[in-house]
Formats: sequence, structure tokens, C-alpha cells
Amino acid sequence: MAISGRAGLLALAGALVVGLLIPSWSGIFLVTGLILIAMVIDLVLAGAVHRLEFTRGGAQSVRLGEPAAVTLTVRNPGRARVRGMVRDAWPPSAGASDRHRLDIPGGGRQTVTTPLQPTRRGDRMAYRVTVRAFGPLGLAARQGSHTVPWTVRVLPPFTSRKHLPSRLDRLRDLDGRLRTLARGQGTEFDSLRSYVIGDDVRSIDWRATARSSEVMVRTWRPERDRHLMVVLDTGRTSAGRVGDIPRLDASMDAALLLAALASRAGDRVDLIAYDRQVRASVQGTSAAELLPALVNGMATLQPALVESDAPGIVAEVMRRSRRRSLVVLLTGLDPDPLEQGLLPILHTLTSRHLVLLAAVADPRINEMAQARGDAEAVFDAAAAARALQEREHVVGLLRRRGVEVVDATPEDLAPALADAYLALKAAGRL
Amino acid sequence: MTTSVSPDARTIWRAARAPVLVGLVVLVGAIVIALVRGGGEDGAVDPESVSPAGSRAVARLLQAQGVTVVRVESWEAVRDNVNSGTTVLITQPSWLTPTQLSTLRDEVPTLVAIGPVGDSVPALAPSTRQQGTVAPQNRQPDCAFDAAGSANIGGVTYDGPTRCYDGTLVRDDHVTLLGDATPLTNEWLDEEGNAALSLRLLGQRPTLVWYLPSLSDAAAGDQDGAERSVYDLIPSAWWFALGQVAVAVLLFMAWRARRLGPIVAEPLPVVVRAAETTEGRARLYRRAKATDHAAEALRRATISTLIPLLGLPSDAPPAAITESVAARTGRPGADVHAVLFGPPPNTEQALVQLADALDALANEVGSH
Repeated sequence: MAISGRAGLLALAGALVVGLLIPSWSGIFLVTGLILIAMVIDLVLAGAVHRLEFTRGGAQSVRLGEPAAVTLTVRNPGRARVRGMVRDAWPPSAGASDRHRLDIPGGGRQTVTTPLQPTRRGDRMAYRVTVRAFGPLGLAARQGSHTVPWTVRVLPPFTSRKHLPSRLDRLRDLDGRLRTLARGQGTEFDSLRSYVIGDDVRSIDWRATARSSEVMVRTWRPERDRHLMVVLDTGRTSAGRVGDIPRLDASMDAALLLAALASRAGDRVDLIAYDRQVRASVQGTSAAELLPALVNGMATLQPALVESDAPGIVAEVMRRSRRRSLVVLLTGLDPDPLEQGLLPILHTLTSRHLVLLAAVADPRINEMAQARGDAEAVFDAAAAARALQEREHVVGLLRRRGVEVVDATPEDLAPALADAYLALKAAGRL
Repeated sequence: MTTSVSPDARTIWRAARAPVLVGLVVLVGAIVIALVRGGGEDGAVDPESVSPAGSRAVARLLQAQGVTVVRVESWEAVRDNVNSGTTVLITQPSWLTPTQLSTLRDEVPTLVAIGPVGDSVPALAPSTRQQGTVAPQNRQPDCAFDAAGSANIGGVTYDGPTRCYDGTLVRDDHVTLLGDATPLTNEWLDEEGNAALSLRLLGQRPTLVWYLPSLSDAAAGDQDGAERSVYDLIPSAWWFALGQVAVAVLLFMAWRARRLGPIVAEPLPVVVRAAETTEGRARLYRRAKATDHAAEALRRATISTLIPLLGLPSDAPPAAITESVAARTGRPGADVHAVLFGPPPNTEQALVQLADALDALANEVGSH
């Protein structure tokens, strides 16, 4: 049960009665007793809450940063009216406005809508529904809780999709579908057509020209149906917060833009998230279902505070992709884990695949490196310079082993990775 | 459709106008009252005040006649100064309790009180009654003060054994009640017989204790009187009402204490700032005063930005770098060498200077 503020107000008014009319102990007992009796009557007349029936509906998934709404339908099977409040409790990061007024006549039903504004990625589960039903006097209420399960999956926001149109334009330039036919080494033979002035004479196909009455040139198009393997490292380096978001979220954003671009370019994209085991895996999905599958797979990923198992990642990639692929490793550029973990076994990966390593750089380090003025600032600058040199050193080591490296701040990582992919594609290195 | 819940200017004004209006009325009222009553009250009947309502003139006059004027403001000070050769003038008898006033009457050989009313009158002069009030004007003594001549006096009137100036001055044994302080003020002292009357009233004895009571004096006097606490003043019926209020408080507590469902707990992700290790290293440098390591890192950073600008191979020897920088900037080679490859700085100050020197060098190379 619960009582309302009216009971207290009534007792306060009773203080006047006691003071003016019956100033004695019996006066106090009389007034208090009357209030208690009224409360008991109210409680008896209040509608039963434990027999209420609940059904849910509404959003099941929402992008982070966007609002969602979940409905809750309450049916009152009893005869007494249920009048009061209902709280549809959600975890704090679901951002729910969870209190609603309730007024259901006997046998009736009412639907309340709980707006959600999630502040974190992942699955948000409804906690409990608590109903408080007041009696006709509004002095006392019955209260009870019900478990009405519902899960809203909060998907990664994919903020970098604003970069997608410009990258698709560049892809079309490569493709030659819209404008000039891009020619370069490593592109695929497409068809033969007759020579027009302005064509590169090196593309003349002499054998076809001999067979035909006019000069024929070969046309080319960028390679298609290549395989991309995106590997999200969810180990401890991905937990570091750069600006407001963890490195993992920035990596996801970049992975989503890359996947969207690559699937439009006709390539197949697979994804695994790995630290010491596979945390998420998207494989063999068609282009149309790729993005939904990816955001769904990524939604529940959280950084694990363990050192990533580099040999495990390499073995998993080798196991999954037998033919040559572009392996995109979204990980950190911290010297120690890379030098001890990945570098010694990198050759197994590079021998079969093209490896692109993308890492989230911290603008704070660059800021520190520029600091001057007093001793503290200069020590900061020295430490930042040292960190940058180590990073540079590792990048050098990786490049020497034939690994492409993209190192960019969270905002720039997604477009930079997309550009790196487009450059590889234009060069026909996939 | 969205509805903004943050208040706009109109809402704020609507919510605030009532309190603002009340505040304005109070403020204007206070100013008007202050203006209407203004001025005269300041330092009234104070022997050191030169304002029109003050009494410095009469105090000087008395001193010239050989009377010692002692200005006191506290009850204790009055008691300390009273002896058989003192006159006591009380400017605000109403601010003292009747008990205090009768104590004074018993102890002081000559007592003058200005405008006592109510309980103060019988406490000071048992055979005197208060009558009414009149405006100050020129009045004739018609009694033992004839010699003083007419005086400007008004205020409270009394009926007593010796009644002068239409009742605005009454003498009862050794106590004199004065209707108001007009004859003593700087403004009126030189009119009519005011000065003569003042000197006759206050100059009878060698010492004049000029007592300006303060409100705390009544409390001081009460300590030995029958003081009652606030609680004694509450009728006993309301004690029971208070008991009922306690019941109400308990009910309010029960109302607020009952939650609408439990608090929802949620595991939160670990927050690790990515730059933490670098900042930690900076703190270590600082604590260890590792100026040499810091200088080394800064120099390497500068050299690695210089090398591509100079078009040198990445493993160029120091001599080649120095030479190239000197050629590009026109600085002496020894100078450049000292900045880029000199001995490490020993103090933090030197490190800061080195950092600035490296920046300057990189800027010069970049701009040439």
C-alpha cells in the first residue's frame, strides 16, 4: 500500500480541531483514528492491482540519439475502477519518461506510451511496471509491481552516413557508369568498342581490330565481387575514450561506412568482432540486408577489458576467408600490444590477404604536443611527442610489412577509411 | 510535433509578476515612509549631534556652566555613573521596563524623563497620570519655573503634583517628566526661555548622565526580573495540537518514503580516457624532473618535422641536418647544433626555453 499527501494534510487540519475544540490526548487519538479508518476504507475500495493484465507494443530497435516509443496496454479485469499512477520502469540510460496517469473502469483498458531517448548503445530491457491505485477518497492506495518483458535494441548511430553520398559519387567515377571510363592497371576487362578520338591508344586491342573493319579499343571497369573482412578489435585498447565516445564506437562508425560503400561497389563484406573470442559475426549476407545485419550485430558489443588475442584473430580470419580478401583491422596503434601480438604473425595474414589497419587517434595527444608555456605544459608536450613517435614507429613497421595504415581522429576515421578503400579499388589492389 | 518544455520569456514574466509587484510595492512604501519621516530622527536628543533634532548646543552650555556631561548608552553604564551628585536624563523611557525605571527613580537624586507613556509613567512618578498629547508651541510656565519664562514645549501632557506649561512638564518629588524634547534641541534652544528651562532642569547637580537607552537594555533588566520563555506563553491546548502536527509529519513521511517501484540499477561501461597513459608519462617526467628525456623527445619530434622540409633522408646524420638548417635559415651552425643536438637542459626553465627555441627553428625552416 501507499498513502497520499492528502492524508498528511488531513492530519494537519486535524491539528486545528485538536487545538481549538478537543485539546487532550483523547482528541489526538480521535482525530488520528478517524483518519486511519478513512484510509482503511479507501484501501478496501481501491481497485485491485495484482490482477491487472499488461501487453506491450511499439519500437523494438532505435538508432542511438533518436527517440523511440513503447506502448503499454493495461486491462482491468476486476469490477472496481483503477485510478492512480503507473510507472513503466526502464534502466536510466534508456532515458524513459516513465510515469503515467491511469484511470480504467472495471473491465476496461488503457494504453500509455513511454517515450524513450536512449543514451547508450546496447539492449535495454524493461524492468518492472508498478501500479498505484487510489481509493475514492484519494487518501490511500494499493500498489503492486508486474514484470512485463520488452527489449529495445539501441543500434549504433552511424553518424558517418553523411559521408556516404560523396564517396558513392567517387565510386561512380571509378565505375565509369556516369562519366569517363577510368582506366588503370588492375581493372577488369569489360567489353570492346570502336575507337573514338581521345581514347588512349594503349588500350587499342590489335587482335580485335584485325578481325574487324574498324579500330577497336578495350574498355575496363573496376573489379567487382571482391571480399572484405572487417575485424573489430573489442579488446582493452578499444575501451579508451576519445572525446566523448569509446574508440570502439568510432571504429564501428567507420566499419559501417566502409561496409555501406563496399556493398554498393559490388563487394561482399563480412564482419567479426573479436577480443579473446568471437563477440559478433556477420557472414555471407546479401547486400540489401548487410547494413541491418551489421548494426544489429554491433548493437550489443562492449569493450572487454582484456588484452586482445592477436593469434586468435589471425587464425579466425584465415579460417573464414580462404581466397584473397581485404582484411580491415579496426584496432589500436599502441606499440606494445602490436609489436608483441600482431607483428610476429602478420606475415601469415599478408601472405594471403591485403591488410588495412585503421586506428583511432586521440586529438588530445596532438593538443598536448602543441602545449608550451610552463614546465608542466612542456613535459606534457614531451610525453605527447614521445607517444606520437612510438605510433609513427609502429606505423613504419607495419607499412614495411605491406600493411596499409589509416590513423585518424574519431570524426575523420570513417571518411579516411572509405577513401583508403576507394584508393585501393582504383589501384586494382583488391 | 514537439512541445518545448523550457520556459519562454512570457511564461517567466507571468510566473514572476506577482512577487515582483509585491516587492515593488514594499520598496516604494519603504522609500515613501523614509522620506516622510526623514532627517529629524537622526541623532535626536543626542548631546553629540549637531542636527536640528540633536542637543549638542545644550550640552555645551551645561559644560560651560561647570556641569560634567556623561553620555551613556547602556543600562550598566548608567548604574556605574550614578551617585548623589548626578542628574540623569532618559531620552527614551519607553525602551526600558517599568522595573528598571523605578529602580532608577529610587537610586537617582534628580531624574528627567522625556515623554514617558503607559506603564512608564507610574513607574517613574507614582502620583502622576498621563493625559493626552499636544503640539509643541510657546507656553507659559504658570508654576515654580516662572523664572525661566515661556518656552516651546509640547508632546505628552500629564497631571501631577507640580504641573507646568499646560501639563507638558510635571515635577513629582525629584522626578521631572517632560512632554517632549523640543526645548533641548539645537533648533529651538535659542528661542524664548528654552535655554533657561533646560539649564534649570539639567544643571542642578555637578554631573549630568545623558542616557540614550538601546533596545537591548530592557532585556538586560529582565534578567533579574520574572522572565518567561516563549514556550511558557503558548496556551497548553496548542501542545496537543502540536502532537497532532507530529502525526501529520509522520503521515507526510510515509507518503514521501513510499516509492512507485524500486530504483533500477544498471551496469555502466568502464570509462578509460585514451590519453591517460600519455598524461601519466608526462606526470612521471615532471616528478622525476626528467628534463633530459623530455628534451630528447622534443628534439626528435622537431627533427622529424624538419627532415622532410629539408629534403634529407630519414637517417641523415646530425652534422648534415645542422648544416642544412644553417644553410636554410642563415643561422650560425654552432647555434643550430646547440638547439638540436646540444647538451640536455638541467632545469625546467631551460627545458621551456629549449621548447621555444625548437619551435622558432622549425618555424624559420618552414617559412624559408
